[in-house]
Amino acid sequence: MGMVMNMKNIFDCKLLLVDDEPELRRMVNEILRKEGYAKIICAADCQQARELFSSEKPDGVILDVSLPDGDGFALMREFRALSAVPVLFLSARDEDENRLLGLGLGADDYITKPFLPRELTLRLRAVLTRAYFPIVLKQSQKPAFRLGGTEVDFNSGAVTSNKGQLTLTAKEFALLEKLYENRGSIVTGDSLCQAAWGDDLYGYENTLMVHIRRLREKIEPEPSAPRYLLTVRGLGYKLTGAERK
Amino acid sequence: MKSMIKILSRYVLSAAAIALILLIVNFSLLAVWVIQAGKYEQRGYSTGQLANSLTESHGVYTLAESAEREIEKQYQWAMLLDDSGQVIWSKNLPGDVPLKYSAPDIASFSRWYLNDYPVYVWRHSDGLFVLGCAKGSRWKHSIEMYYEEMENTLIWFPALLALNGLAAILLALLFAMRLFRALKPLAKGIEEMAEKQTVELSTRGLLGDLAVAINKTSARLITQEAALNRRDNARTTWIAGVSHDIRTPLSLVMGYASQLEDDPELPPAKREQAGIIRRQSERIKTLVSDLNLASKLEYDMQPIRQNSLVPAVLLREVVADFLNSGLDDRYTVDVEIAENAQNALIIGDEELLRRAVSNLITNSIRHNSNGCAINITLEKGLGNCILRIFDNGTGFPQTVLEDLNQAQDTAGLQNHGLGLTIVRQIVKAHEGSTKFHNLPEGSCEVIISLPAK
Repeated sequence: MGMVMNMKNIFDCKLLLVDDEPELRRMVNEILRKEGYAKIICAADCQQARELFSSEKPDGVILDVSLPDGDGFALMREFRALSAVPVLFLSARDEDENRLLGLGLGADDYITKPFLPRELTLRLRAVLTRAYFPIVLKQSQKPAFRLGGTEVDFNSGAVTSNKGQLTLTAKEFALLEKLYENRGSIVTGDSLCQAAWGDDLYGYENTLMVHIRRLREKIEPEPSAPRYLLTVRGLGYKLTGAERK
Repeated sequence: MKSMIKILSRYVLSAAAIALILLIVNFSLLAVWVIQAGKYEQRGYSTGQLANSLTESHGVYTLAESAEREIEKQYQWAMLLDDSGQVIWSKNLPGDVPLKYSAPDIASFSRWYLNDYPVYVWRHSDGLFVLGCAKGSRWKHSIEMYYEEMENTLIWFPALLALNGLAAILLALLFAMRLFRALKPLAKGIEEMAEKQTVELSTRGLLGDLAVAINKTSARLITQEAALNRRDNARTTWIAGVSHDIRTPLSLVMGYASQLEDDPELPPAKREQAGIIRRQSERIKTLVSDLNLASKLEYDMQPIRQNSLVPAVLLREVVADFLNSGLDDRYTVDVEIAENAQNALIIGDEELLRRAVSNLITNSIRHNSNGCAINITLEKGLGNCILRIFDNGTGFPQTVLEDLNQAQDTAGLQNHGLGLTIVRQIVKAHEGSTKFHNLPEGSCEVIISLPAK
């Protein structure tokens, strides 16, 4: 954690990988190096992990739940007593999921074996980013994107098209932001209502419909025949054709 | 315990009834016997008739022939005393019978015995006619009571009966209480046995043998229960262990296959092959975790979280996830939620219910490789939520349908994968019901009913 100040990006993080299976350690090591992480240290059991943790002071830990000389959960508690290091669990049992969810151990995330390399790198990135670059992200520029000839800028909340410049209301902004975050995917009415009103769809059906119609009037060239903000009957809405600027 | 009391009250009543019936029967028999005896007495000639058949003519007494036969048959001897107590006529008179009697003598034997001969007397026009029987042949007894008492019989006889009945009930109750006390621990033992508790009854007393048998049965039941639990546990932990052991090697297979698949230096054909390995590994992964979940659900070892949730929201999420994960164009999934089910609540484990719904969608997709339209509807019934999932595909094979609806062991379902079994188990764990059947068009339909909050 002492290195936070001179850390430029998450790939500067020193990672401690704890797993008793040498083959798996080698593979994960390879995957992480390919992804861009350069400082990776490996431990095969709790004892080794403790020693490396105190001597190397890693910035992130990838920890197997069942180790030959102990329990990964207990080991994490030891680490947490020393620092707030982010921990990503690797678990080989469905039962662990219950403990991870139920006990509120404060693990940052977990992956169940077997996993795809992509899953591991995405989760790890998320865990490390959340731990070391959270404020930086919030302060950074919000995205702006293009829908055909229409430009949407989330920084100003402005929609610019041949109709001129229009401003999004707070609710329209919340809805469009949620749709843009999940662009190309269906977003359920419930998720949209959670984003805008903090509640499920029930009771907001008409309100949501009205807001979507207004949103279409601002972003669609032909609001009655939408091309970008599509209705998925029975489920919700979907934003397509968005190009990030 | 209720049944014991019922049995015993019946026992008491029937015992009392039996006692009363016996009493009445005995009284009736006595009455019949008395009447019969009286009749026997009157058979043939009475003492009076015999006395009257003794006639005097010119100082000589003659007995009618029929009367003579009668005396020989029924009695032994006869005599006639005159007013002064002198024997003036006799027949077969034994030697030990005196020929002269004083008034006290007569008063004495007229009621009882004459020199141990039972005798009967009758007033004859010339004196007293005496009939004697053989010694020891008759027992004489005279009844005597106050007239008032005789009149009260009509009251005291029913009273006596009632008193007897009461005594019978009390005695029966006494015995019943003893029996009840003896049976009570046994009945309690049997009840406890039904609740799978250990039963150890005292084996002393009247019903000791029965108690021994109950103790033995209970011990055997407990051992069997423990053995069954051990076996279920062993099976579940074994499956969990195997699935744990498969995961690490599978991680390596999946990891390297995926890396090869993404390796731009490899020719596309090789990358495609690596993709097949990766996809099949993912199938094994699903299978392993399905097997694990199915075995845990089967033996009640899967913890079920109990959260309040809105099935409508859950359904929309599951379907949106399916569509977002890149469902082939040949498949469509439509969701229709009835107005009254939009905000219906159920209590359940969101993760498991999500799994049940996605297993059903996956099932339709897997068994209709040429594509199909999947429809999901949700309605609210009386106290439950009804979820229907149907498609326009090929439907369930008949044998699979039978297996699924008969809710057998997991082992009975080899062909259709574990997906549908898990659906049934999850719904069962939520105290709901699942029906699998084919629509008239031949495609399949699954109806799930879950209790509403």
